Amino acid sequence: MRRTTAAACAALLAALGAGCATSGTGPTKQADANAPANLVWWSTGGDDETAAFQKAADLYARSHPGVTIKVQTLSWDDAYAKMLAASSSRSGPDLISGGMTWTIQFGLRGGMIDLRSFGIEQLKTQAQPAQWKSAVSPDGTVYGIPLDMSTEALYYRKDLLKKAGLDGPPKTWDELTADIAKLKAAGVKRPLSIDWGNLDWIGYFNFLYQAGGSFYTPDCKPSLDTPQAQRALSYWIDLYRKGGAPTDTVATPDALETGIAMVYGGNWNAKVLDTSKPKLKGKWAMAPLPAGPAGPTTFIGGRAVGVTSYSKHVQQAGDFVRFLYTDEAIDAINAESKARNVSYLPPRPDKIGDAPFPPEQSAVFGDIISTGAAAPGCPGWDESAGDVAKQLQSAILGKADMKTALSEAAKIMGRNAQ
Amino acid sequence: MAPHAASPRSRWRRHGTSYLMLLPFLGLFAGFLIWPLANSLYLSFTSFDGVTVPRFTGLENFRSLLFDDDRFRHALGNTFIYVVASVGLGTLLSLGLALAFNGSSWPHRIMRTIFFLPSVTSTIALMLLWKWIFNPGDYGLANTAISWFGGTAVEWLATPGLTIPILVLMSVWGGMGYGMVLYVSGLNTIPEEYYEAARIDGATDWQRFRRITLPLLRPVTTYVVVTGLIGAFQIFEAVYIVFRGTNNIGGVLDSALMIVPYLYDQGFTHFRLGYASAIAWVLFLIIFAISMVNLRIGRALKEL
Repeated sequence: MRRTTAAACAALLAALGAGCATSGTGPTKQADANAPANLVWWSTGGDDETAAFQKAADLYARSHPGVTIKVQTLSWDDAYAKMLAASSSRSGPDLISGGMTWTIQFGLRGGMIDLRSFGIEQLKTQAQPAQWKSAVSPDGTVYGIPLDMSTEALYYRKDLLKKAGLDGPPKTWDELTADIAKLKAAGVKRPLSIDWGNLDWIGYFNFLYQAGGSFYTPDCKPSLDTPQAQRALSYWIDLYRKGGAPTDTVATPDALETGIAMVYGGNWNAKVLDTSKPKLKGKWAMAPLPAGPAGPTTFIGGRAVGVTSYSKHVQQAGDFVRFLYTDEAIDAINAESKARNVSYLPPRPDKIGDAPFPPEQSAVFGDIISTGAAAPGCPGWDESAGDVAKQLQSAILGKADMKTALSEAAKIMGRNAQ
Repeated sequence: MAPHAASPRSRWRRHGTSYLMLLPFLGLFAGFLIWPLANSLYLSFTSFDGVTVPRFTGLENFRSLLFDDDRFRHALGNTFIYVVASVGLGTLLSLGLALAFNGSSWPHRIMRTIFFLPSVTSTIALMLLWKWIFNPGDYGLANTAISWFGGTAVEWLATPGLTIPILVLMSVWGGMGYGMVLYVSGLNTIPEEYYEAARIDGATDWQRFRRITLPLLRPVTTYVVVTGLIGAFQIFEAVYIVFRGTNNIGGVLDSALMIVPYLYDQGFTHFRLGYASAIAWVLFLIIFAISMVNLRIGRALKEL
């Protein structure tokens, strides 16, 4: 018995010793520059988006003999965990693309390459300034660059607005408040709902910036204890309590189909509405979000793409990332996105006119992006975002006073910034 | 006289082939269970972030978890409420169903099959179904049913007070068929003579149930409760699929935050794999302790 126990303990210790060997951050040995390079790109999203990016990859491969790039789809649900597993084992793809801050998160831990050595910073002038800033690490390192953009628009039912005697969508907060009242008077039970960002910091982001506020000061001090932040939250709360916006999230197509007159929804809805709800064809349109007292600033998100530190072909992968901003790459992605009905907004604002949307929709997106702002790139924001959302939820659901909720959110951001 | 202990050589000659045939299984068992377990135990004492080399931090993860982490305490509280409600209600309903449909007639068999169906259906499909039922506005099934009676739509998934009741409902509905089958097999092992003797002695239905059925079903009850507890403590899919928000796995105000979703959140969205490992081991200790208490109680009751 004693021998068995000793053997079991030895086995456990051996296993624990093996556990100590987990991971490692030594530089990955690079393959011979002249040897064939078969790159793998893990792309978070859908298969159609992968096919669109594959077109750009094929173009690059055609002009670079010996290089092939295979784009593989990862679903949004498990992409992050898979990328983490790849980073942990230091084996996996050469390129990854996913949420805007993912490359920073992995990069800060040694999982990504600093792209500045590939002349990537030259692309900054072509990108949407706020989005570029949000893709760059707080210390200035560029672990990833924007691959595409996502933003929010006001989708509305033309027939319901007409029924309420409205000529068009609201352009300002005041008009939105007045239109909600008119729609209610005309018998529209639910005049407004918020899809993307409902009860979340992204939803608040729009109102905060439209009121002239921001999450942080330019030197990254939390700035939610301001009159602008309070005004924004007060207006947002009123949309739920007085305007009747549902706190439970209704997807934009479902909302419009079930008689909600106006919806704050993501740009991808412009592509899916006609196909998922054919009965709504011709009945809906979209516009920029109503502007607040400080303007129409709207949230810009998207995906970032970067090169993993465990790639054996860093040189080729870095060069390919730069290639993704060329006219030919973006044109190829645009064309394939159009063929596959993919909602792709290129990372270069000058190319939005060629994006796979009808001209009137591209014009709306162009307007939104020209004044858009992106997520704060300040230290501690990623750790704070979920808790900030909970403070906002407390205020909306009446569990906490508005000023207290904002003050608590600011404290959390301050704590996480240290 | 005690028989001589067999020499290693003769033991090997007798059992060698068996040991060799066990090797593939042992290899897999060690590689995919023992090694990851030992690894996670080691990592629970480190600040491993999934990318850089783990740094040994001693008991810091456990100290922080038990004394500083409000979210963990919130998750623990939610989990305990959920476990007590879902296992208690699930066990009672399983027993009730078994008593109602333990016969061999066709109607009983059909009812048993119907109640058992959720146990053999994909969890993800079931969760999506529930999400659709509790959809907000006027198109969710629950709200449609409410509207038939003139009620107003309820925001099911965005009302913190409804979160745990909904999770319990989903769990009980999905699991009571399995418990029912176990109870039915237990009921069938109780000799009919016991009931006949009790009837002759003038025992009422309730007395027969309390004095014969319940005590003789104790092993089944222990099994149903212990496996139910283990499963309930590890709730994940329901929270992840039905309640998860864009930036928060625990739903509105963390009302659906449970231990395993919190573990996932810390490990796979906040790069705190060492901390997540500590959560896993705390969860293991909780389940182990509660299962032991349960088994002891079962044994003590048997001896009464």
